[in-house]
Amino acid sequence: MNYLVVDLGYGDAGKGTVVDWLCATRPVHAVVRFNGGAQAAHNVVLRDGRHHTFAQFGAGTLRPGVRTHLSRYVVVDPLALAAEAGHLAALGVPDALDRLTVDGEALLATPYHRAANRVREIARGTGRHGSCGMGVGEAVAYSLAEPADAPRVADCRTPAVLLRKLTDLRERLAADLGPMDAPPVDDCVTACTAFADRVSIVSRSHLTKLLRAGTCVFEGAQGVLLDEWHGFHPYTTWSTTTFTNAERLLAEAGMAGEAMRLGVLRTVTTRHGPGPLVTEDPALPLADPHNPTNPWQGAFRFGHFDAVAHRYALEVAGGVDGLALTHLDLANLKPRAGSPMKICRRYDWTDRLPVGLPGDLDRQARLAERLLDTRPEYDDPPRDWVATVQDELDVPVVLTSSGPTAEDKTALAALTMRDPTSAPGC
Amino acid sequence: MGSGIWSTDVYDAADRYRRATGASAFAYSDSGARKVHAALDPRDAVRESRDSAEHPQSLAISVLFDVTGSMRGVPRKLQTKLPQLLGLLLRKGYARDPQIMFGAIGDATCDRVPLQVGQFESDNRMDDDLGRIVLEGGGGGQMRESYELAMYFMARHTSIDCYERRGRRGYLFLIGDELAYPKVKAREVAGLIGGEPTEDVPLRQIVKEVTAKYDTYYLLPSGSSYAGNRKVLDFWRDLLGQNVIELDDLDAVCETIALTVGLGEEAIDLDAGLRDLDQAGSAATRTVSKALARVGSGRRGTAVSALPVVRAFTDRISRL
Repeated sequence: MNYLVVDLGYGDAGKGTVVDWLCATRPVHAVVRFNGGAQAAHNVVLRDGRHHTFAQFGAGTLRPGVRTHLSRYVVVDPLALAAEAGHLAALGVPDALDRLTVDGEALLATPYHRAANRVREIARGTGRHGSCGMGVGEAVAYSLAEPADAPRVADCRTPAVLLRKLTDLRERLAADLGPMDAPPVDDCVTACTAFADRVSIVSRSHLTKLLRAGTCVFEGAQGVLLDEWHGFHPYTTWSTTTFTNAERLLAEAGMAGEAMRLGVLRTVTTRHGPGPLVTEDPALPLADPHNPTNPWQGAFRFGHFDAVAHRYALEVAGGVDGLALTHLDLANLKPRAGSPMKICRRYDWTDRLPVGLPGDLDRQARLAERLLDTRPEYDDPPRDWVATVQDELDVPVVLTSSGPTAEDKTALAALTMRDPTSAPGC
Repeated sequence: MGSGIWSTDVYDAADRYRRATGASAFAYSDSGARKVHAALDPRDAVRESRDSAEHPQSLAISVLFDVTGSMRGVPRKLQTKLPQLLGLLLRKGYARDPQIMFGAIGDATCDRVPLQVGQFESDNRMDDDLGRIVLEGGGGGQMRESYELAMYFMARHTSIDCYERRGRRGYLFLIGDELAYPKVKAREVAGLIGGEPTEDVPLRQIVKEVTAKYDTYYLLPSGSSYAGNRKVLDFWRDLLGQNVIELDDLDAVCETIALTVGLGEEAIDLDAGLRDLDQAGSAATRTVSKALARVGSGRRGTAVSALPVVRAFTDRISRL
């Protein structure tokens, strides 16, 4: 059986640690990434204290032998990948690059996309979208505007092609935005060629082989509430954060629906970056050690468990077979100062956010405006978080987490599909 | 979500991929370089080990080895072995936030590269420094090398937060097989390191200074010209007491250093450390056991009896 893991919030719920737990507790052949890019930051901590923030490698990489496959839906950053592999080697995992395969069709994020991304985000001033500044959105936007000219992973094998594409890219972006603060194209080609020499670049069919060879865990990036079509526009990501891409990859391999869909939620609803967070409460006495304030997203924001938003995410995602509920240690903590952690079951104007048609960004923008002006209504802190979340979302909690390591996880039920005959999600 | 915590430096990436495809670890020396690499030049340098948000309990660990001819094949072996040190320290939890610096020692009276000093790094970047070390191969026939200059640099040209902010000494490992000169010569300091030294510093004075800041060890490896030499051992035991270690299997150099740090940090006692090695399938247990018998027994009074529970070595990663 395969597993699909997505975050039903705004990201940071703990997908990394859930994927690591899956890889520690069962024979997983490969972790497959199916959205996002190097802006992902999935933290995994081992019992011996070692810690790695996974950006492009699958969060199972600390487990010996577990492979990573970057599917064509990932925006690949070969430069950040090298540094990440370097840190893994320092942790005693020298073979991360040997266990990696990358689909040649995947888009490349380059220093030019990154520079453009930053220029645009700075120009937005206080109206920032919460972009991570890694050029992922810029790479997607360019590929939509210039599909034939967008640099892709496979181009790294043909330096002449890559040189032409990067030169065009740089010139077009510079024509729009002015001079780029980015390294010369030749140097970028050199680095990408070294990447192609080292990393195994494969075709679409490789994923079928991986799926036939053993269990695959599909690791989503970001969160459903940041989805490009169903998130609260414009505070979204240029990426489909639901199960859709993963289900499509499975279907192409002839294994449609053969995976358990696992949604990850945290007992507090959080958001890193601007945009609606209806239950935000600066008085919550919490801090996230892995999410310091950064210049692109600002401070990490905490809110009470927003059942309305998570029900919406669940509907957008087309349902899940089970939930992983993380940060239970916080929920069970008796805070000495600040607000106790509460639950929001309804807003001042509704208890349900209806799902719109994909593509109607005006509607999503109106929804975002309304949410920025919405007041939450709270109930007392639940006595039993697991039971409460199950009731509110009408989905069983199958896994709980009360700490950063795999040993802090408790499986409450077998990880199985609820109804194997139902059609795969939206 | 995050903001991309991994470096996107294009030159760094190219370099890393090239190294990962098997470029020589001795590229700099093998390319015929005969002067100190700019990155390792001690001139006007101060090497710093600093606390940071990610590494709040930095611990400075410096390994300097003799690269003169008497050491024969040892330096080359060390260049291939030492990259494992960081992973070993972290894997075993012997030190929480180690920052490692590598360097090399020659002979200031006749060598072209008498002192090479890298940076303290918290990740594998110090491996780059190893690759930049020029293997001197010279040295005189007088059984002395310029260890005193290296100690002078460590005492006066490093700044380490573990000591300065938290009062905990760092670690200095000198790997060699000869004696030091009896004093640090002001002329050599001025020529190599700079500053304005006005007078020579007696060896004992600089040992006193360096040991105040670093728990300092001398490792005499097998395979070098003076392995097991009584005169060498007595010379260093007179200066450093029990902190003189004979290493009869060079393959165990990282394990020996790591375990020494683990003992010093009271993260482990000698028996538990040797058990760790056994469990990891290390062939080095006997060598390390023998090498550290003195150090370990000297520590037994203070070492804690067992690892804290969270350090228990039970996750599935068991290789470097």
